[in-house]
Amino acid sequence: MIDAIIKKDHLNIIFDRLKGRFRVIGPKVEDGTIVLSEIEFSDIPTGYRDCQERGVYRLEEGVTHEVFSFSVGPQSFKTFLSPSVQEVFSFEKLKKGIVTEEIIRKDKPLAFVGVRACDLAALKLLDKVFLEGPVVDKQYRDRRKNIFVVAVNCIYPGGNCFCDSMGTGPEVSEGFDIVLTELAEHFLVETGSDEGEKIFTEFGSVGADDSCHREKDALIWRCRELMGKSMKTGDLPDVIYRNMGHPRWQEIAEKDLECGNCTMVCPTCFCNSAYDTVPVSAISGNALEFSGVRIRKWDSCFSHNFSRVHGGNFRPSRRARYRHWMTHKLAYWIDQFGSPGCVGCGRCITWCPVGIDITRELQELRRVR
Amino acid sequence: MYDKSVPFEAEIKWMKKETRDTATYAFRIRDSVVRKAYRFEPGQFNMIYVPGIGESAISISSGTMDHDLLHTVRVAGDVTTAVSRMRPGGVVGLRGPFGKGWPLEESESRDLMIIAGGVGIAPLRSVMRHIYLRKKKCPGRDIIIYGSKTPKDVIYRNEFPRYRDVFQVFLTVDKADPEEHWKWDVGLVTHTLDKVSFDPLGTTVFLCGPEIMMQAAIKKLVKKGMPGEKIFLSMERNMNCGTGICGHCFFANKFVCKDGAVFRYTDVEEFLATSEA
Repeated sequence: MIDAIIKKDHLNIIFDRLKGRFRVIGPKVEDGTIVLSEIEFSDIPTGYRDCQERGVYRLEEGVTHEVFSFSVGPQSFKTFLSPSVQEVFSFEKLKKGIVTEEIIRKDKPLAFVGVRACDLAALKLLDKVFLEGPVVDKQYRDRRKNIFVVAVNCIYPGGNCFCDSMGTGPEVSEGFDIVLTELAEHFLVETGSDEGEKIFTEFGSVGADDSCHREKDALIWRCRELMGKSMKTGDLPDVIYRNMGHPRWQEIAEKDLECGNCTMVCPTCFCNSAYDTVPVSAISGNALEFSGVRIRKWDSCFSHNFSRVHGGNFRPSRRARYRHWMTHKLAYWIDQFGSPGCVGCGRCITWCPVGIDITRELQELRRVR
Repeated sequence: MYDKSVPFEAEIKWMKKETRDTATYAFRIRDSVVRKAYRFEPGQFNMIYVPGIGESAISISSGTMDHDLLHTVRVAGDVTTAVSRMRPGGVVGLRGPFGKGWPLEESESRDLMIIAGGVGIAPLRSVMRHIYLRKKKCPGRDIIIYGSKTPKDVIYRNEFPRYRDVFQVFLTVDKADPEEHWKWDVGLVTHTLDKVSFDPLGTTVFLCGPEIMMQAAIKKLVKKGMPGEKIFLSMERNMNCGTGICGHCFFANKFVCKDGAVFRYTDVEEFLATSEA
């Protein structure tokens, strides 16, 4: 394992080495927000801090001299591993039959730069959903198995972060090829895989000494100390199961716009719906033969139709739909996959237009009325 | 093995109209490799696919030893309407089988009571066929209680005389027109349950129907001294992917498509009592 320091302006060397083999996905500033997209090295924002509160996101420039001083934006890496729209299979409807063909993509492998501990924990959770079921999601598997991860230890928390409570951060502990810690003068570079070491070999680096690790530990400790939000998790899932009839659910429903933002920004929300897309000619008239593609799109359990069947809906009330989402994150997920489905990234709090805060709501549920 | 994420072709060999809105279709899987590899357990379901329209989860109604793969489909939404317009020779896509089936081993050494409501009989016909074809057990110990809206809505009506060789069959309807010939019960399934004599400690129940009916039946069974562990029910949700990755079929902490559709009552008891779980 490599444990070294590099000069801050040598970061591009790692980047350039990835660039040939991978499509490099990382943070950049767009529309006043940190977004994730395919980037050039120069896109990586420097000197930005974000202000995140309940229902608030503001990006401030020139506040620091650090590169990774911002925290998570609205997107997570699920966008690239399980895209919001993906083609599942193509079909041809013929007079005497149906021809279907699975869509297998041979995309360039992805390298994720600037992945935070919470988002790595989220990938681990998505793996359980997409790879460990009775049927494997092959597109996810194919994208997932070839990724290269350059993780970053958070040195400042976002305003809604509570990864410390969820045990997922701020320190990156697994699932990375390289992890960077931004020290005052250098980047501390540690590798977590053979692939990571390969990228880093013959690099003009200096071995890290104890003082570098002390500095790293102090930065992570400071990040924990500055984390403004927390969630008590010791009584999960039972505290929610005991309170399925709590009046708080109705109070949330009265604010809730059921916009589904929380499910879109959540790095572990995976729900989707499949549809056939066909040319207009297949809809108009009585086309006996036509072809099309079956696609899968992200969906949200907040939408009214999500659990509709003929003649009824299993969750007709908004109260039940919010309760289902939060209970899934903090309770059902534990029964299903062995750990909560929340990694403490705080995105659902920031991007909720009415500022519903999952940490506060759990606390409210504990209040006996 | 074959792929369960892409539909394979299945041709309608024959069909039989059961009621005004329900028909049974016999399918033949076209691809011989898939046909040979295809195995199911009673209680599992397939996703029936009509190109350009979509998929619908329909339980398998044939027995495992039957030659044809049967689906009994009630017209409810777009996919089932499209299927209802098809005739023999028509082709649909199928994916499956999915889910966990009925614990048939329970019926080996214990009496079995099948309770069904409406189209809920469809996944239980598979069990009925299984037991009928074995005929090893002393006939008359196993029970079928089946409730329909009216005599015209009784699915598999002409099959029940045969099942009577093996089962005690109790039919009931919510309402019977006096002009119709109906010699069985009128009333809820739970009323019929009162008239049936069975050993609450030696019987296992397989239950499928509207949730409200299942809850009422379970309440009665438990009151009669039946342990909850010996009651199994098949749940309905809007299965979309069948493979546990779309989230539509959540029933509280269960993926109905992969953890069910058949559940042991005691595993879901807590959430059956919670509205909109």
